[in-house]
Amino acid sequence: MAAVDIEGVRKVFGGRAGEVEALAGIDMALAEGEFACILGPSGCGKSTLLNIIAGFEGLTAGAARVFGETVARPGPDRAVVFQEASLFPWLSVWDNVTFGPRMLGRPKQETEALARTFLGLVGLAGFERHLPDQLSGGMKQRVGIARCLILRPRVFLMDEPFGALDAQTRMQMQELLLHVWDETRGTVLFITHDIDEAIFLADTVYVMTARPGRIRSRITVDLPRPRSIEVLTDPRFNALRADILHQIREEASKATRAFEEEERRARG
Amino acid sequence: MAAAAGAAPPALLGLALPAALVVLWEALARAGVVPQGILPAPSLVAATWWDWALGARGMGLNPYLGTWAETVLFSARRVFTGFAAAIAIGVPLGIMIGWNRIVAGTVDPLIQSLRPIPITAWLPFAIAVFGIRDAGAVFLIGLGAFFPIVVNTTAGARDTPRNLIRAARMMGASERRLLLRVVLPNALPSIFTGMRLGLGIAWTAVIVAEIVAVKSGLGYVLWDAYYVGRMDVVIADMVSIGLAGFISDRVLVAIGHRVLHWKQFGAR
Repeated sequence: MAAVDIEGVRKVFGGRAGEVEALAGIDMALAEGEFACILGPSGCGKSTLLNIIAGFEGLTAGAARVFGETVARPGPDRAVVFQEASLFPWLSVWDNVTFGPRMLGRPKQETEALARTFLGLVGLAGFERHLPDQLSGGMKQRVGIARCLILRPRVFLMDEPFGALDAQTRMQMQELLLHVWDETRGTVLFITHDIDEAIFLADTVYVMTARPGRIRSRITVDLPRPRSIEVLTDPRFNALRADILHQIREEASKATRAFEEEERRARG
Repeated sequence: MAAAAGAAPPALLGLALPAALVVLWEALARAGVVPQGILPAPSLVAATWWDWALGARGMGLNPYLGTWAETVLFSARRVFTGFAAAIAIGVPLGIMIGWNRIVAGTVDPLIQSLRPIPITAWLPFAIAVFGIRDAGAVFLIGLGAFFPIVVNTTAGARDTPRNLIRAARMMGASERRLLLRVVLPNALPSIFTGMRLGLGIAWTAVIVAEIVAVKSGLGYVLWDAYYVGRMDVVIADMVSIGLAGFISDRVLVAIGHRVLHWKQFGAR
């Protein structure tokens, strides 16, 4: 049984300006413990796909299943790391991390032990009493990861979590995430538009087409683990990079052409 | 607030103008430029206030001796009761209007159509329904404070970032807990803004109500003293009202600072 099973998922947004097809028949399956990245140009619907799996949005056609169960609503079995960490600004780091277990009524002692473990794992021991606004962007995102880890989810859904960080911090966070993943080995679906990030992190990279989003190709990244920054200079890394870059370029220019076409039509 | 370089501290600077006005007023009164019956000298007002506040209550000719504290307490109790009722109804209702479209569609039009009616226009209605009793005054105060509280609470609840709601759902929060743990805290800064506005209106309403509808409190004394030509009491009363409003606002702000301690760390 696949950890995540996406079958012919189609999503159409209805609006006053007419309908927009965001996803046109997505098929994909993640195995348990697989780290998959979805890579695509902006506006291709990759976040929509994640939102459907998370249960934040419904789908127009098709099916989304997680460990055989059809997704109906959000839940702690599918933990989400958001692009802007989306922490509760009125809660301390500790209270943000333990929010989920408290909502779920999990035993207090176990929760406290796990919170300490995971805050340590993401390098935030000693920051328990800090408020989110007192933290840097990278640290906020580490809290965002810790509050997902503590849920003990079956799938991690990450929506461009490092997209808003500076290059230096982003690289640190990628290494941190790989370290965390090596320790916990969950199933991860990671959305990004950063090719290096996708190859560095993933077992499998799905390249999406321009809107309406489809899976254009599925690329297996057979770089050895555990990976470190050195892998960025590996010739296999560069070969993958060149291949994916070429595909993304094509999709990006398709998107541009489609946009220009729409503009022309709109102007009559 | 930035003080100009080398300038006196702003607090002292702010006292200079009122002090100068009081001195000028005193000088004009002593020179006989303004009649004491219309505008009594500040020194006379101060003396009157002293007697009003601390004088021994007797059977003498001055009915105000020693009654200041109870007069203030009468008004303050009405303000507190009406204000507390406005919070007790306005905050939960505002949260529901901001959260639920059906509640908003049902209740909001009614609130918006009653809101433009000035609190003074409600006076005859309040007296007709409640008679010359405390309840009429408390009704007016509560109604006046209710509108800014409910409107600002609604805005604060509506303004809850979508991803905070999603994050809470993803972590297993029930709808009730979502309202209490996410929507309510997110609305708190707006709620406090509404409460400050409401408190100002509450003090206006208590004076109006006491002038017309009840026989005690600062508003009653204000009008009564005017009727018997005691302008010194009128002015002492006016300053008392201002002071009571100022102090209650400071108390509310101090509570706000404690409750919203997470806000002082700036933009999110």
